[in-house]
Amino acid sequence: MDVDSLIHAIDAMASDFLLLERGTVDVPTAGRLLNQLEIISGEALKLDAEPMRRLSGGLVALLENVIMNGGGGEADFTALQKGITLMQEVGSGLTKTDAPRGKDVGEFMSEITQLAGDGFPEETPSAAKEQEGGGASGLQDESLLRDFIVEGLEYINEIEVNILNLEQNPEDKDCVNSLFRPFHSIKGVAGFLNLDDIRELAHRLEDLLDKIRKDELSVNTDVIDVILEGADALKALIVSLQKKLEGHPSADPEVDLEALAARIGDVEEGNHAEKGVKRLGEILVEDGVITRETLTECLDVAKETPAKKIGEALIAGGKATPKQVSQALRKQISQASEAASIRVDTSKLDDLIDMVGELVITQTMIRQNPVLRETADEKLLRDISQLGSIISELQRTSTSLRMIPIKQTFQKITRLVRDLSKATGKKVNVAMTGEETEIDRNMVEEIYNPLVHMVRNAVDHGVEKPAERMMAGKPEAGTISLKAYHRGGTIVIEIADDGKGLDAQKILDKAVGNGLIEAGAGLTEQEIFRLIFLPGLSTASTVSDVSGRGVGMDVVKKAIDKLRGKVDIQSVKGKGTTFIASFPLTMAIIDGMIVRVGKEKYIVPTSAVRLLLRPDRSECSTVAQKAEMVNVRGTLMPLIRLHELFGIDGERKKPWESIVMVVDSDNRSKCVMVDEILGKEEVVIKGLGDGMKKAKGVSSGAILGDGNIGLILDPEGLFDLSETAMGAKRR
Amino acid sequence: MEKKISILVVDDFATMRKVIRNLLKQVGYENIVEAENGEAALSVLKSRKVDLIISDWNMPTMSGYELLKAVRADDELQKTPFLMVTAEALKDNVVQAVKAGVSNYIVKPFTAEVLNDKISQIFKKTAS
Repeated sequence: MDVDSLIHAIDAMASDFLLLERGTVDVPTAGRLLNQLEIISGEALKLDAEPMRRLSGGLVALLENVIMNGGGGEADFTALQKGITLMQEVGSGLTKTDAPRGKDVGEFMSEITQLAGDGFPEETPSAAKEQEGGGASGLQDESLLRDFIVEGLEYINEIEVNILNLEQNPEDKDCVNSLFRPFHSIKGVAGFLNLDDIRELAHRLEDLLDKIRKDELSVNTDVIDVILEGADALKALIVSLQKKLEGHPSADPEVDLEALAARIGDVEEGNHAEKGVKRLGEILVEDGVITRETLTECLDVAKETPAKKIGEALIAGGKATPKQVSQALRKQISQASEAASIRVDTSKLDDLIDMVGELVITQTMIRQNPVLRETADEKLLRDISQLGSIISELQRTSTSLRMIPIKQTFQKITRLVRDLSKATGKKVNVAMTGEETEIDRNMVEEIYNPLVHMVRNAVDHGVEKPAERMMAGKPEAGTISLKAYHRGGTIVIEIADDGKGLDAQKILDKAVGNGLIEAGAGLTEQEIFRLIFLPGLSTASTVSDVSGRGVGMDVVKKAIDKLRGKVDIQSVKGKGTTFIASFPLTMAIIDGMIVRVGKEKYIVPTSAVRLLLRPDRSECSTVAQKAEMVNVRGTLMPLIRLHELFGIDGERKKPWESIVMVVDSDNRSKCVMVDEILGKEEVVIKGLGDGMKKAKGVSSGAILGDGNIGLILDPEGLFDLSETAMGAKRR
Repeated sequence: MEKKISILVVDDFATMRKVIRNLLKQVGYENIVEAENGEAALSVLKSRKVDLIISDWNMPTMSGYELLKAVRADDELQKTPFLMVTAEALKDNVVQAVKAGVSNYIVKPFTAEVLNDKISQIFKKTAS
């Protein structure tokens, strides 16, 4: 029994402690105290002095807590002091015959459990503060970023080499370590340089590797794949950073970080086993046909006779009937088909969809071929119709390939709301419905900006401050609901807030004040709400960081128009506002109205056409001898003669003999005169090539069902063109 | 505060060394030497005296923890203040380093101010 060394260690602790400045425990002293406590605990165990052991354990926990909290507070200090004194007493008790004073120790322990017992936060408050302030100001200097890019890319190359080594030697811990380190280093520097995406991703991968290092996860192809994928994503992020530095402002990497993080999570949790194909034996065990023990036994048998498969071994051993085995096999195969997916380059996918579009058009051309119309060959007709149904199925399948759920966009918005609510001091929750609704991948990015603007508006102008909400008898936290669903060929996205709603009177006053409308125009509430989409109308009286400053809803409207979408507002004062935006599912196909002018055919986006009419002669007038106007239900609208504008031969010269389309674009409406409406058709949009990019009035082309080429009109460009032409005429 | 002290920055990532160097310069420390791992640090320490070691934990060849133990076991070097840089405030790691005699630790990423505070704390202790 070595009571002396125990007492010695306690005394050493006490004297170390005496030297401390009142109230704080510095790190080196804490280290020495911990080392002494380790000795004390060891000796106490040998002496079977339970109260002493408990006491030292308690002090260790307390000290660790103090270290993690950067010095600890007054209370920790007092508790430590008390603990050491108590330890001295209990220690001296050991040398005497008195029983150790278990009661005091018990009291002390419950006292310090409260101090240390709140658990040890992984990140101490001070550390968290450091991280928040992170990215140390003044460190965003370019040369550091350049160094990081060069070194980071070198590290990623290293990762790529090492991962192949790991694949070949999955058990080699050195390989794991050599992979861990580069991720770790990249993470560290990215933290300083405010490169949050890079830091986050490197951190996830580092965690994954840490699990492998600690044998919590074994290396398999899923792990290798996800690490490689992660390294690729990191590379893409770093390369885009490089591009940005070189002055390509829009060089955002095409990396889906959330999906990647989710996959890393799956791999970490071993979900790969669930998703992958289960072994036959496992299926049988799950179905309760055999027990696990039987399986292990038979697996051993099957190992000895390599020619025998597990199913055969089970049947041979009478453990399962052939029927059960074949059922399990069938299950396995169906799982395999569920699990099988491959990744394809999106550009290949785009090509495929383009080609299918061409195929559909070619098919229509064949159908309309006069030879075919006159033929009496029934087999040929049958085959053609069969071909048609296959092609439309093919078109449906291929378009669906490029569809992805809107979930990610919603999640991004949720994060945005969280940030915004913090910035504005409001409490806002987000509710989502229909996040599985699918939309063309190419549309996802396009719709993000207008959605963000609407959400910003909802948080900033819609949802009230907590106090204001309480006064109005609403829950303190506001709710923004995001909802997505399909309607016809469109995806509808609703953004609803339960805030204060739009103030129709305020909007009206502002619009009148800005000269946007005339006083007493007699607008309906709905029409008044739509005024907020006009440029230069922001009803917020104070300009905030979040929104305001007059660039707001008009930008939204423009962006939505560009996507051939629509937006509507519903609002009840005091109850909230709902923005209902609808977008076409894809930008590759347009629903167009085919019109004819002379021999030319044009396509007008159906979404831009408000109405078609043949005006009465009395409704057409000429202002100042040149500007022709049509009176459309009481409103005078300028007339555009398409044949004049494009310099082609039109058939009809008088508006009252031809067809007039009322076309809307960006708050302007004009009448467009054409010879004939040929019908409505969904057409696949074809770019006109770089040479035609500057051509005004037409946006792109399409191959029509009859094989002819039609130009797709761009209303906005068309209006501009007509206005310049008008100006030229006047001069 | 004595700002003439010489500081050895140990990290395998050159950019990281530069980051720390920049931060140190922001708060007035100019006398800085670098090493890319524990082994390299030891050979620097053999050839010249430094007043403070700032080392990353995770490095190839010889980690910061191993360097710390080697420094504390060396008669000449054992009193040299040692600031450990860790990626996360993980209790196990920190306590391990504290027991091995680290002077203080700092969690990445940190600001120049925080770094300066930690250094001041270390030197206040050794001075008293």
